[in-house]
Amino acid sequence: MTVIVNTTDNKDITKILEKNLFGRSLEYEIFEASDMHISHCRGCNFCWLKTPGVCAIKDDYEKILKELPRASQLWVISDTALGFLNHKGKNIFDRIVPFLTMNLEFRDKMMRHVMRYDNRLDIGIIYQGGIDKDYMIRWNKKITDNMKSKPLGVFDVGEILEATKCMQ
Amino acid sequence: MHAVIINGSPRVQNHSNTNRILRKFIDGFCEAGNTFELYSLSDITTWDFAREAYEKNDNIIFALPLYVECVPGLMMEFLETLPSKNKDTKLSFILQSGFAEGLQLRCGETYLKILTERLNCGYGGAIVKGDNFGIRFAEGEEVEKLTEPYKEIGKIFGKEGDFFNSKCVSFTGPEILPWLLRVYIGIYFKTGAKKNFAHMAKSWGCDKPIEYKPW
Repeated sequence: MTVIVNTTDNKDITKILEKNLFGRSLEYEIFEASDMHISHCRGCNFCWLKTPGVCAIKDDYEKILKELPRASQLWVISDTALGFLNHKGKNIFDRIVPFLTMNLEFRDKMMRHVMRYDNRLDIGIIYQGGIDKDYMIRWNKKITDNMKSKPLGVFDVGEILEATKCMQ
Repeated sequence: MHAVIINGSPRVQNHSNTNRILRKFIDGFCEAGNTFELYSLSDITTWDFAREAYEKNDNIIFALPLYVECVPGLMMEFLETLPSKNKDTKLSFILQSGFAEGLQLRCGETYLKILTERLNCGYGGAIVKGDNFGIRFAEGEEVEKLTEPYKEIGKIFGKEGDFFNSKCVSFTGPEILPWLLRVYIGIYFKTGAKKNFAHMAKSWGCDKPIEYKPW
């Protein structure tokens, strides 16, 4: 399954996505985060040490988190700020921490957290606004290396058709 | 010298490793008679004051924990409210994280340079240091011991006004630990670390294994 989280107010993006995904044998779920309440991560570490896998913040992010163990792709659509994802986009990634465990291992010659679930969750980014693309590609690679998965790419909203080709 | 210091950690101040690090950094910074203002972004009610201090001062230090290889979302939200300035304003950074190897922090460090350019400020360098996760679980003298090295860094910044000194650059420690130590740590991850984490979890009232899969 592919999980798509649109953190922008621009629902035309997801309309275009749905139009292009229609007819394909792709199971997907779209979350319009602008209609949801999603807080920032507070770094409490409860999801690692007190309620493993469960975030202490009881807001709408849990709906997304519950889908991730059976997903193979996560796409985050975000506005940008200061060359990076804006805070709404970044919050989606910061809150993914319960998907990892506190345990550690060396993987690909780097210290990493052990993943909580067995599925491989590849990650792609669609952005709206100015961005430092070289950095975003590096960041996408780094976070997926940490999550034992693969980067799906960083796409400007104008390249959305290219992004949909990567959705499977 | 006067510095505006902004703690970008979303964790409440009492439990913030970054705050503990800053306390020691500030001890060193103030030794030569320097002055500072400290703002913690975890307290959103102080954001207007922090923004005003950023606008009025030209020596700004952001201290932050690495969150998913970059700036925490909460700090990003604050940064989005800042106006662009000019090269007379210098942004310096204290970047800290849990993993010990310097290589783990370089992606985040790179963004700090991009951020500085986007705010049209001058870059005062970054203190980059991992292996700080344990600060949270330390108490009393142990905290002092773990954070003491930051006092020297504070002194250097208080004298030079940036983090370009060779002692600041080498403060990170090894980019990659020696292979024999890595072998030892790898074994520890599979044995003692697991036990320690399970013990920590139990002390926090956890009644499930930390590998538990709720969904």
